[in-house]
Amino acid sequence: MKNKSPKVQLKRLISQLLIFISANLRPLGVKTGFCYPFFYCNACPAATSACPLRSIEQSLYHSSFKWKLFFYPFLILGFFGSTSGRAVCGWACPIGLLQRATSKIVRRLHKKYSFFKKLANHPIEPYMRYMKYIVLITLVMLTPFLIDFMFTDICPVGFLTGTIPTVIIFPGKFVPNVFFTAALIIFILFIILIFTVERGWCRYFCPIGAILAPFNKISYLHVARVPQEIFDKECLHCNACSDICPMGIDVPNMTRSPECILCGKCIEVCPKDLIHFERG
Amino acid sequence: MNKIISITAIIIVSASLVGMWLETEVYQEVKNGIVEVLCLSCLKLDPYTKSEFTFQTANGEKHPDFVLNNLSTGIIFLHFSEDACPGCDIMHPIVEEIFNISFGKEEMVYKEIEYENTTIHYYYTNIDHSTPGRNQWLKIYDKDHVGGLPMFTIITLGYNNGLIQPYYTTLYGTLSLDNDKARSDFLKEVIHEGIELYNENLPGFKG
Repeated sequence: MKNKSPKVQLKRLISQLLIFISANLRPLGVKTGFCYPFFYCNACPAATSACPLRSIEQSLYHSSFKWKLFFYPFLILGFFGSTSGRAVCGWACPIGLLQRATSKIVRRLHKKYSFFKKLANHPIEPYMRYMKYIVLITLVMLTPFLIDFMFTDICPVGFLTGTIPTVIIFPGKFVPNVFFTAALIIFILFIILIFTVERGWCRYFCPIGAILAPFNKISYLHVARVPQEIFDKECLHCNACSDICPMGIDVPNMTRSPECILCGKCIEVCPKDLIHFERG
Repeated sequence: MNKIISITAIIIVSASLVGMWLETEVYQEVKNGIVEVLCLSCLKLDPYTKSEFTFQTANGEKHPDFVLNNLSTGIIFLHFSEDACPGCDIMHPIVEEIFNISFGKEEMVYKEIEYENTTIHYYYTNIDHSTPGRNQWLKIYDKDHVGGLPMFTIITLGYNNGLIQPYYTTLYGTLSLDNDKARSDFLKEVIHEGIELYNENLPGFKG
């Protein structure tokens, strides 16, 4: 079933803003036992829910296995993943919203300095995308289990949404702890990344993206092309879809790519309407 | 075919999730253990430690009965911790060394310890394995409204407008110090101060 909707980007922006607000209702007394289905830190002074990675780490910490805390975030992410794949990354995640805001700067930078464009198109780039699976398995699962070291201790998203707001809201009440310096360095690298590679965090390092990505293969809602014979006949090979894709996907050759965040930019830009959201 | 797979996956995942909500305590566990407790390691910050004593409980509630009962025989040391907490792991052996005791991180512990010729009623609470009533102590003595772990409360006696009353201080995290010796020395210093106050005020305490 085809569903090409106009103003997708405006709807996406409204969705991202509303979800960002609803993720930050603690000042109104809202605290829940849900895990966010996206990347957001429970140490944020306004956070209403738990970071899914924190729940996974807590379940495995110190060679333990608390099955409820382990499976709970996977089921929440699995629900959104099986329904709409990585749409959460494109339509809900506050870190996605941040990277949406930096993407114009990244594009300008790529236009002005070919070095960055070459870097983004380096032959090693596709392999870099496997880094997020390695981060998920090693830093979120193995190191908490084996050596009591957790990804959230050095998480740049925690630094951005937890540490910085806390320091601003409660000046003088907190001092850096043993993880601060390492987290600060990683945070600076994170900032450099999102200003040099469009959706660099989502592409290469996001462990929640790594959980959601395989669901793109079976998700009910996904991005699809018209049937191959029509596509071959109608496609102008203008490459506008690939050029606009924030995840750097080769859209004309894409079949349920695990990298697709269902942002709908390729759908909007296709002059022949050959790409659409599809259900089932 | 893909549609059938998608719908089957949605049904299986949704049913498992609803089953988990209905049949287990996972919602409360996440709320109480992750959302309501400030993860100091996630925050990469420790509360700035001040050892000032106060009479006023953090949430305005009365001191629990066990505090009033125990204060006639010694000071009280409350130690709060949780499972996945690097700061708790740093502080656990320091407390064990100071009081010359040993116990597992997941246990619930009460010990009467002789320290500087005074009895210390030591209560260890791991909030992931504790009861809601005992976890409530954390809110009563969260002096600086941090809500973070590890947390240490020393309850002694103080003079307040003609009355001798429970007088406490709370320390958090790794005590804003960067090595174990400094942490141990600081904790010992605060305990010593609590004992001095206790010995000074005990004769006037009516329980």
